[in-house]
Amino acid sequence: MIVSWDWLHQYVDLPDSVEEVTQRLSMAGLNHESTTLKGSDIAVDLEVTSNRPDCLGHIGVAREIAVLYDRPLTLPPAEPHASGPPIETLTRVRIEAESACPRYTARVIQGVRVGPSPDWLAQRLETIGVAVINNIVDITNYVLFECGQPLHAFDFRKLAGPEIIVRTAREGETLVAIDHREYALSPEMCVIADAERPVALGGVMGGEATEVGNETVDLLIESAEFDPVSIRNTARKLNLHSPSSYRFERTVDPAGVDWASRRCCQLILEIAGGTLAQGSIDVGRPVPEPPRLVLRLSQIERILGIDVPRERVAEILRALGGSHLEATSETVSVTAPTWRRDWQREIDLIEEVARIHGYEEIPEDVRVPMAVSQPRKIDQVLPQVRHGLTAMGFDEALTASVVPQAWAEAFGGWSAGPPLRTETPLLRGADRLRLSLLPSLLDARRYNESLGNLDAELFETAFIYLPEADRPLPREQRTLGLVTHQGFARARGAIETILEMLRIEAPVATSDAKVSLFEPGRVLRWELDGRLLGYVGEISDTARREFGLRERVAAAEVSLELLEAMAQLIPHYTPPSPYPAIRRDLNLIVDESVRWGDVETTVRQTAGEWLESLAFQEVYRDPKKDGAGKKRLLFSMTFRSSERTLTGEEIDALRDRIVAACTQAHGAVLLA
Amino acid sequence: MTALEDYLRQLDTLAAEATSAFQSATTPEQLEEARVAYLGARQGKLKAIQKGMGQLERADRPEAGKKLNEVKRRIESAFQAAKEALGTAAAAPATRTRFDPTLPGDRPRLGHVHPITQTIEVLKEIMGRLGFSVAEGPEIEDEWHNFEALNIPAAHPARDPLENFYLATAERQADGPLLLRSQTSTVQIRVMEATPPPVRIISLGRVYRPDTADATHYPLFHQMEGLLVDRHVTMADLKSVLRMFATSYLGEDVHVRFRPSFFPFTEPSVEADFWWNDEWVEFGGAGMVDPHVLQAVGYDPEAVSGFAFGLGVERLCMRRHQITDIREFYRNDVRFLRQF
Repeated sequence: MIVSWDWLHQYVDLPDSVEEVTQRLSMAGLNHESTTLKGSDIAVDLEVTSNRPDCLGHIGVAREIAVLYDRPLTLPPAEPHASGPPIETLTRVRIEAESACPRYTARVIQGVRVGPSPDWLAQRLETIGVAVINNIVDITNYVLFECGQPLHAFDFRKLAGPEIIVRTAREGETLVAIDHREYALSPEMCVIADAERPVALGGVMGGEATEVGNETVDLLIESAEFDPVSIRNTARKLNLHSPSSYRFERTVDPAGVDWASRRCCQLILEIAGGTLAQGSIDVGRPVPEPPRLVLRLSQIERILGIDVPRERVAEILRALGGSHLEATSETVSVTAPTWRRDWQREIDLIEEVARIHGYEEIPEDVRVPMAVSQPRKIDQVLPQVRHGLTAMGFDEALTASVVPQAWAEAFGGWSAGPPLRTETPLLRGADRLRLSLLPSLLDARRYNESLGNLDAELFETAFIYLPEADRPLPREQRTLGLVTHQGFARARGAIETILEMLRIEAPVATSDAKVSLFEPGRVLRWELDGRLLGYVGEISDTARREFGLRERVAAAEVSLELLEAMAQLIPHYTPPSPYPAIRRDLNLIVDESVRWGDVETTVRQTAGEWLESLAFQEVYRDPKKDGAGKKRLLFSMTFRSSERTLTGEEIDALRDRIVAACTQAHGAVLLA
Repeated sequence: MTALEDYLRQLDTLAAEATSAFQSATTPEQLEEARVAYLGARQGKLKAIQKGMGQLERADRPEAGKKLNEVKRRIESAFQAAKEALGTAAAAPATRTRFDPTLPGDRPRLGHVHPITQTIEVLKEIMGRLGFSVAEGPEIEDEWHNFEALNIPAAHPARDPLENFYLATAERQADGPLLLRSQTSTVQIRVMEATPPPVRIISLGRVYRPDTADATHYPLFHQMEGLLVDRHVTMADLKSVLRMFATSYLGEDVHVRFRPSFFPFTEPSVEADFWWNDEWVEFGGAGMVDPHVLQAVGYDPEAVSGFAFGLGVERLCMRRHQITDIREFYRNDVRFLRQF
């Protein structure tokens, strides 16, 4: 809301300093945006919150200043002299669309002289950035910006038939508005119509056909109330937002409807002459009784934390327009002003007292009772996951939760169901709630590749949204995803290290999983405690092409929910064994088809509790010596007992049993 | 000279040559070159001379073999000596290689935690010390938790479909429409519904609003909200908690200012500012929990009162690190991520 400093002077004796006034207004709820010199006037831009439509006119702003500086507010006269014929002999109004237009008033002035506005009026409008048209249109705009009530002046002679009808638009109707553009109307829109056609879009904009021009002689002045939701829908649908629609969307003062009409007519008679018809048409619901509110003084302290004296409370409420004040030792009762529809409850009055009395009165150093906060397990698990991954060289990424359809369908590792869709895309083409973090991370890899950052190894911890058959809300699974250019073993090792950090047992791995995104045969599926933990694998060539990736990428995705559940944050002490360890290396020749994981299982099962660690060393192929289709598995075993010193002989015997077991289970041959 | 004698002399010469070659090497590369020349498994001179043994009389071979082994050992030990000399340059004469302590260290590359996560962790940590526990709720919400219970009635502009990310789940309309939450206040409702007062929580997480992405807007961002409901909680408590928060966050004693504002779920509603570096810095919105909200979750507004506050994490993070474009957070350019 831009206000003219010169204009405000009309209603209240202003202090000298604009800056001081805007500062105080800011601290009372009208945030100061800017101050601009406009010729000899000053334009002040104030931000008006949606609960304060009373400040969408100069009088409302002046009232705030009057209250803050304890100065009188002077309202302009609105008592036009009516000497024409009774209005009933000239026109009628019928409201058909009562929900969209609860009240409609009209006055008629005959014999006006349309021409340029006087300088004082034109200058005020220019200060606040409103185009100057002619004296009649300018006056309706002037009164709008004076009190916040939108008005419209019709060229009365251009209205067909004896009756104004407020109705909904008919299918196929159009209206050329005063902005000279044609609008296609739809049946939920409220129009002002004459006998033949819509002549205005109610509460939004007037029509070109009946607008006031130089040839206009007789006027019909409309002042009405329109339903906020109806106005908002119409304005949005037509993308037609006006100062009128802006105010009706926030509601107007019901008692101000007639006042504005009278004020407008008075100015027209003064400036453009003419004769005002006697009386007015006022149809629809009457002005509702404003609520009577009781403020318990004890509630001020209970909510604000400070006491405000009863006299001060009463003074504030009266100055703001409250009437019929009654005070007892414990309460102040007041009737709300009609222009303050936000005064509905006791708490509304407490807020008024607070902002006028001043929030600076509220102390900032009271003793707030202590309390303990209880950290959740996830708040301990997540930092560990992040520390682990950053220590390994992965950077944390944040990617959008809503992705293009192709990405949402790229990975079905968690859910076979279709992803949920948003009505509006989050970003261009992205309207599916993601079922995996990996597509987003692959895209982040692609972006980094395009910048030449070939070493981007990224991880993210975020939710994925898995639709569930019987529940309205999807299951939101906190998930860890990572991508790396350093191969499968790197991705796998990263997750295994995290598991180790969280003291989670090794998951059960299966290697026959077929999941999109991953190259068949180069993917592991992990289960933990009988539940799906996640996947690690190499991204398939097809997927790399789809995501525009040049480099080979390995990726892993695991459920953080499961990690959280299984994490053992407080370790249990085991006394380190005081006895020496014995190490034995093995070099087994096996068929190419034999997998390490199976050999490892055999070794562990055979070795028993003395096996302290089993370290894989390498796979080596020497077709000349071992024959084609063979490979050597090299690994080291460390044995130790917590009870005694093991002898070389018993460990050699154990090693021989391990070799024998591997021979039997996997056809392994010990390299001599 | 017999063939044997000749062969033995050749061996001695080779040993002398090799030793000299190893000793004159001043870099590992030169030494390796020399090693290949003399000890190379395929083309090495020692290998070549070894083959020459086949030309000798059978009876001479044991002696030649013995000498060959000795020469081989000599050459190998000369190589080892040269190699060690190269490795301990400090003790070596100037012509030898030197250890260079100014060469860069072997630094494992550390990854970086995203700046938004870092900011969130700082907020959680400070609020934790002030007694606020972390609470979370779903990002996909129903209209009750995102609007109704927060005193945002159906006619409110904030509920316009164009102002929200509603889900297109026609088959679920019976349960009411779902949407991506537009604020983390939803969590307050869920916690209060499930917990009798007192409640002292912060909620953190992603929220979604249909803004066109530019330097200061992104349709997805993070919020932190605090909520304290108990008997006799006042705006003075709110101001004091925010001041303690700011003093901890900014590392020095700061002052708090309230400016009146409007939010449906709080009344009175204010914008909170901090006086810092000789100017008022906007912190975020705050206020006393609206009685309608307390009623909606089954609390008695006559018995308990509470305050709530909220702030945008991105904005705070941008100010903290002088970041000028909010979109940087979601591009994941590692040259950006590695700055934090």
